[in-house]
Amino acid sequence: MADFIRNPVVALPDPNPEPHFSEKQLSFTEEEKARIAGWVRQYPTSDGAVMWTLWLAQEKFGFLPPEVLQLVAAELSLPYAQVYGVATFYTQYFKEKKGTFVLDVCTCFSCQFCGGYDILAYLEEKLEVKRGHTSACGRYTLQEVECLGACGSAPMMQVNNGPYAHNLTPEKVDELLEALEAGKSLPFVSITLPQDEDEMGGNRRTDAESVENYVTPPRSERTQ
Amino acid sequence: MTKAGNWKSYERVLLPPVKNLHHLDVYRAGGGYETLHKVVKELEPQEVTAEMKRSGLRGRGGAGFPTGLKWSFMPPVKPEVPRYLCCNADESEPGTFKDRQLMEYNPHLLFEGILIACYAMSLKACYLYVRGEYASWITHMEDELEKVYDAKLAGKNMLGTNHSMDIILHKGAGAYICGEETSLMESLEGKRAYPRIKPPFPAQSGIWGYPTTINNVETLACAPLILDRGADWFAAIGAEKNPGPLLYGISGHVNRPGVYEYPTGMLITDLLEIAGGMRGNKKLKAVVPGGASVPVLRADMIEGVTMDVDSLREAGSMLGTAGMLFLDEDTDMVAFLRRVAHFYHHESCGQCTPCREGTGWMENLITRIDDGEGNLRDLDLLLDLCDQMEGRTVCALADAAAWPVRNTIKRFREDFERQCRPAVWAVNA
Repeated sequence: MADFIRNPVVALPDPNPEPHFSEKQLSFTEEEKARIAGWVRQYPTSDGAVMWTLWLAQEKFGFLPPEVLQLVAAELSLPYAQVYGVATFYTQYFKEKKGTFVLDVCTCFSCQFCGGYDILAYLEEKLEVKRGHTSACGRYTLQEVECLGACGSAPMMQVNNGPYAHNLTPEKVDELLEALEAGKSLPFVSITLPQDEDEMGGNRRTDAESVENYVTPPRSERTQ
Repeated sequence: MTKAGNWKSYERVLLPPVKNLHHLDVYRAGGGYETLHKVVKELEPQEVTAEMKRSGLRGRGGAGFPTGLKWSFMPPVKPEVPRYLCCNADESEPGTFKDRQLMEYNPHLLFEGILIACYAMSLKACYLYVRGEYASWITHMEDELEKVYDAKLAGKNMLGTNHSMDIILHKGAGAYICGEETSLMESLEGKRAYPRIKPPFPAQSGIWGYPTTINNVETLACAPLILDRGADWFAAIGAEKNPGPLLYGISGHVNRPGVYEYPTGMLITDLLEIAGGMRGNKKLKAVVPGGASVPVLRADMIEGVTMDVDSLREAGSMLGTAGMLFLDEDTDMVAFLRRVAHFYHHESCGQCTPCREGTGWMENLITRIDDGEGNLRDLDLLLDLCDQMEGRTVCALADAAAWPVRNTIKRFREDFERQCRPAVWAVNA
């Protein structure tokens, strides 16, 4: 009976994992502390600032191992269990080390039928990495994600939880990877509304770094 | 004449054709924030709520609850009890991308709507909960919000009055369930986003136990328009019982996908025509009229159906978020349902057993059918599973997962049966 306790179906987290960061690295600068204090002021209790602080910690450390979560908990005077609970609930908080570039390819239904899986398979082949894993060189993590809210410009993906890349084709993916390799940051793409195109002759944001249209999706070879 | 009236000459109001409308000065040059001025200086809070009620605006987040009524649920003001507004910008429903475009192109309309709502319900603060994936849009809105504060349109003693209202941006981190209102509140409080049991409703006990109202982005963006042009003007647009402008997010196999603004009550067939018809002149097979959780409609079911709450209910679906997905004749509906089931399995928060386990088994069963290893009885098992999930959980995610499964099987049964093993094995074949 007790066998499932010794051999659980789901692997339990190691209670004392090897820390990824030394004591010295584990601290927030004065500037970061001021930002955290600013967030805490926006909520009746410090609990509300957990999500912002975890975002800050992830930006700083790259991912959120237990020692970073402990640092966040200490900074906000919250129980570690609560911070751990929050960090493990949301998919955008990385619990383990990811590649330099995290590619989130949307494959939810609009993207599914507009070639999301083609793009995913193309990336798997090109980067020699399976979805959900990090490439051997440690540069790319490829993830299959749920709807990112850009269904009209499918297939699309998000890079490093930041900019969106719309209307993807294999050629466009190649260009995008080249830009990433060259250390360029991806532009913010403003998608022109079809009605704007008719009534205003193009995109309404003259300050947009890059402009694209909603494009009829290519025929998808595979849907899963 | 359809319910949408003379939609061909419809002039957009949520996303009017003005260049750089997202800049504060451009927005103000077009009369922006004047409605807020008028409301705060001339109207009593109850009058604002009454006007909203009269307009007949129904929430645009999916449930379609009358907004004015929701606002009037807030208990009487007590000085020692804080009260809050939450703006739900956690747009994660597959097929929905209208709020993102609204935040990109007309964020000040949203801010003005938030401030009007704050005034109408005598609130001090609004939490604008944006999903974490919209990081770029959060940065843009932070910049614009700073300008709003600098212009004294929000914050302490806004507009030189003794009112103080704050808009606070909150960044989510990727969880579909946070779009559910009680779960959004848990998330704001810095907890795992497990939905709460209702009652108590948010108006009685919301964030941190204080009275709270939660509205969708598009709903709040309608408020300045109603107060500016009057409830009668608003009520005259589109379908009678569900009036107003509506952002249709059209995706899938169409020639011109994108976000379109038209009155409510548009014929689905008209919308398909506006979106350029089906790609490659293929035939239409199915329409999902309002995001992943609404029942899918077969092509032969959309004749005469308009995009408003009543018409879609009669047709056997729901308006949801008006994020429409058009699928052509080559679409494999089993693969479609498999992906939808995968979505709900992934996004189930795990609080209630029927949902946590049910969505998993749903995905397993549909995957088996899709792989060609399913039996005909699996279809009935799936329908039985839907019965076991619907209405047995804290929030509506289990229902939202069950509806598409039930209706896709019901409406495309031949597609599923073709993929299953035959029921009777021929003897001596």
